[in-house]
Amino acid sequence: MAILEVRNVFKLFGGLAACSDVSFSMEPGMIMGLIGPNGAGKTTLFNCITGYYPPTKGEVEFKGQRIDGLSPDKVCKLGMVRTWQKVRPLAKMTVLDNVMVGALARTNSLRAAREIAAEQLEVVKLGPKARFLAGGLPIGERKKLEVARVLATKPEMLLLDEVMGGLNPAESDEIIQLILDIKRRGLTQMVIEHDMKAIMRISDRIVVLNSGEKLAEGLPQEIVNNPEVVTAYLGEAVS
Amino acid sequence: MALFLQSVVSGLLVGGVYALIGIGLTLIFGVMRIINFAHGDLLMMGMYGTWIAFTAWKLDPFLSILLVFPALFLWGAFLQRTFINRVLGALPQNQILLTIGLGLVMSNTAMFLFTSDYRILTTSYSSESFQLAGLSLSSPLAVSFVITATITAILYWFLMKTDTGQAIRATAQDRDAAQLMGINVRWMSILSFGLGAAFAGTAGALISPTYYIFPQVGQPFTLKAFVVVVLGGMGSVVGATLGGLLVGVTESLAAVYISSGLKDLVVYVVFLLILLFKPAGLLGKSRM
Amino acid sequence: MDAMRPSPSPAPRGSARISVAAAVAVVAALAAVPAFVSNPYALHIMILLFLSVIMGSAWNVVGGYAGQYSVGHAAYYGIGAYVTLIFMTQYRIMPWWGTWVAMAAALAVALVIGSITFRLRGPYFVLASIAVAEVIRLTVLNWKSVTNGAEGILSGPIPKIAFGETTIKFISKVPFYYVGLAMVVATVLANLAVQHSKLGYYFQAIREDQDAAHSLGINLTFHKNVALGISAVFTALAGSYYALYVRFIDPSTVLTIDVSVQMVLICIIGGIGTVLGPVIGALVLVALSETLRSNLITDVLISIGAVSAESRVGAFLKEHLSHAHMLIYGVLVVVVILFMPDGILGWVRQSMRRRALAAAGEKR
Repeated sequence: MAILEVRNVFKLFGGLAACSDVSFSMEPGMIMGLIGPNGAGKTTLFNCITGYYPPTKGEVEFKGQRIDGLSPDKVCKLGMVRTWQKVRPLAKMTVLDNVMVGALARTNSLRAAREIAAEQLEVVKLGPKARFLAGGLPIGERKKLEVARVLATKPEMLLLDEVMGGLNPAESDEIIQLILDIKRRGLTQMVIEHDMKAIMRISDRIVVLNSGEKLAEGLPQEIVNNPEVVTAYLGEAVS
Repeated sequence: MALFLQSVVSGLLVGGVYALIGIGLTLIFGVMRIINFAHGDLLMMGMYGTWIAFTAWKLDPFLSILLVFPALFLWGAFLQRTFINRVLGALPQNQILLTIGLGLVMSNTAMFLFTSDYRILTTSYSSESFQLAGLSLSSPLAVSFVITATITAILYWFLMKTDTGQAIRATAQDRDAAQLMGINVRWMSILSFGLGAAFAGTAGALISPTYYIFPQVGQPFTLKAFVVVVLGGMGSVVGATLGGLLVGVTESLAAVYISSGLKDLVVYVVFLLILLFKPAGLLGKSRM
Repeated sequence: MDAMRPSPSPAPRGSARISVAAAVAVVAALAAVPAFVSNPYALHIMILLFLSVIMGSAWNVVGGYAGQYSVGHAAYYGIGAYVTLIFMTQYRIMPWWGTWVAMAAALAVALVIGSITFRLRGPYFVLASIAVAEVIRLTVLNWKSVTNGAEGILSGPIPKIAFGETTIKFISKVPFYYVGLAMVVATVLANLAVQHSKLGYYFQAIREDQDAAHSLGINLTFHKNVALGISAVFTALAGSYYALYVRFIDPSTVLTIDVSVQMVLICIIGGIGTVLGPVIGALVLVALSETLRSNLITDVLISIGAVSAESRVGAFLKEHLSHAHMLIYGVLVVVVILFMPDGILGWVRQSMRRRALAAAGEKR
């Protein structure tokens, strides 16, 4: 049974079609890589799926339930969360408090939330920085904080938007390990990334978007050898 | 029917002044994204400036515009450079509080200097009116409408046809891009705040023959200026022009058909409705 | 951002380490004051202080914690004042019942206003809050049959109330002092309760990043309305207290934007989003306006010889400085926003942090 089904999703801004007839489905526990040149509509797709805004047309089903048009908090409660391309730490709150906010989605007890938060901080190796203000963290740690924060909501599916953007190779490696760890825990993930090596390592399947349309879908090896995909990224001259 | 037309026309005349105030405010917002809560107090300064010129030198209010415009321009530029510029990157809440504070300082200094007594500026033509197509028009308001229209036309020409004007519009559209293209955005900010203040002061000069002059007079004008700007779309000069006329007419009709004491209330209720249903304004765009 | 130093506690930003013992000691000391101090002016100052703390703390819930800067809170203050006095003067309903109705009325209005205005963001929300307050002020001004319009409402003293053997007469300031102290304790406790609860975490998340909060399962409208509701109830309490103490209210004293600005000012001077911030802010503002009003500053300037009593400056100051408090408020707002946006508390914390960082640097 598919955990996520995206059917003929369109998102229009004025006359511009940021997403055009995108469809795919995902099985539980898999990692889907979502790639495409800048402006292809990847983040727009995330936004439509998670309720940041509704799709103009089309349907999104999560665990068999229609979620297109639901507000983000309801989507989170159903078990789907996302991280942001431009990190959004709750700057004036501590690292621990940030993750607690996530944990409070599932519990009303501050004590329980604190425990869950501490756990997730250990998972992303941010434990020692628990009492630091989130706004003061360097970019790599902010990204890890965001992952910890969404993990604390006990999700079934994670949408990661360029979580490796701006990181050095060592930090990217950590994130890759984290993503594989999360997969081992049984969570489903959709990952937007520009780092092709990382995408190749982690993805079970890849969907390629270009100018809002789905250009290709398939196994990593298929995608990397697909001439249309190469052209889309590098322009006509290369092919 | 005659009553209706009469109210509409009077409303249009007053609306011209509202448009002027609104244009100043929308210019400031367009370029700096700052909500200037001291705008009405700038108008108040224009009024007092005109009153002083009239009392001391018998200078006709409409002529004092020649003094008030540059004076308020310099004052606005000073405010921008000294205070507003420091909060351009701060939280919008803090920016708003800053302008509120500046407004309080201006209005209370006026209270200090002039006491809260209501002043009036009576010229020979203050209560004059003339007949046009069977309707009675207030002479001072008619003259101010013509002056407003002229100033607005000049501003429009300035923004569209001159280099500086286009630089201002570029800064309003995309500050970073404008900077990259070599536009001195700091100067643009100073210029627009100065212009905004000058317009507000001029509006004050224009209405001084017909309104009471007192330190707190700016407050309702600030709020109405916001109604005008939101109606027309934040940052749109054309929108502010139309918005001003619309607010003037609404107020006039409310005063005649509901009650004069409630006319402000009607404007604010309309404001809230617009904020709720069409926050991008009736024209739906936020562009200069 | 010099935020690399660990913040002092696992609780959300802003809760200073107030030990329970210290707090109880302070309250006990305050409770003992009327036994030793009988000067009515001194008690009056304390009452003003209590009023300001309640006003500031109330605004803090929605403005400081949830980050929704309403500059129209005079609406709730005025509703509290008017409903209480109208009930007492026209319907003979005593304030110990009437105040509760006033608070309920403010809550109802807040929920209506909230559901309308909370979909607006940032400056649009501020504008809407001001417009709403003006609508309410103009309504009160024009609804003469109920509110007496611009003439306001003048009330007689609160009738005495008897508990068994004791009778409390609301003639002297002492009963007002104790009621005020109780209200302050209640308000501060409420702020503490909010801050150390799930609500507090959610409010602050909304303040820091609304969209992120939304995506983490937080229902924005609901929580903003809860914050506003709590805030409105305590603001109305303050308005009710003021009305009963001063016994005269009119639209120009309880419903103007000056009142709204004052509430915001109390908070930002002390430090928004903290429990102690409004207390500090209230201390500063009350001290300032009373020294102005009593011509203390002018007298000091004259006594140290900076200004001569006969000179024009001296005479000018003597006559006008006492009315200058709104002007000083304006200057204060500008100064605080430019140089201390986190308030006095924030400034103190930053200097402590810098000193700690410097000390840590030296140790190496």
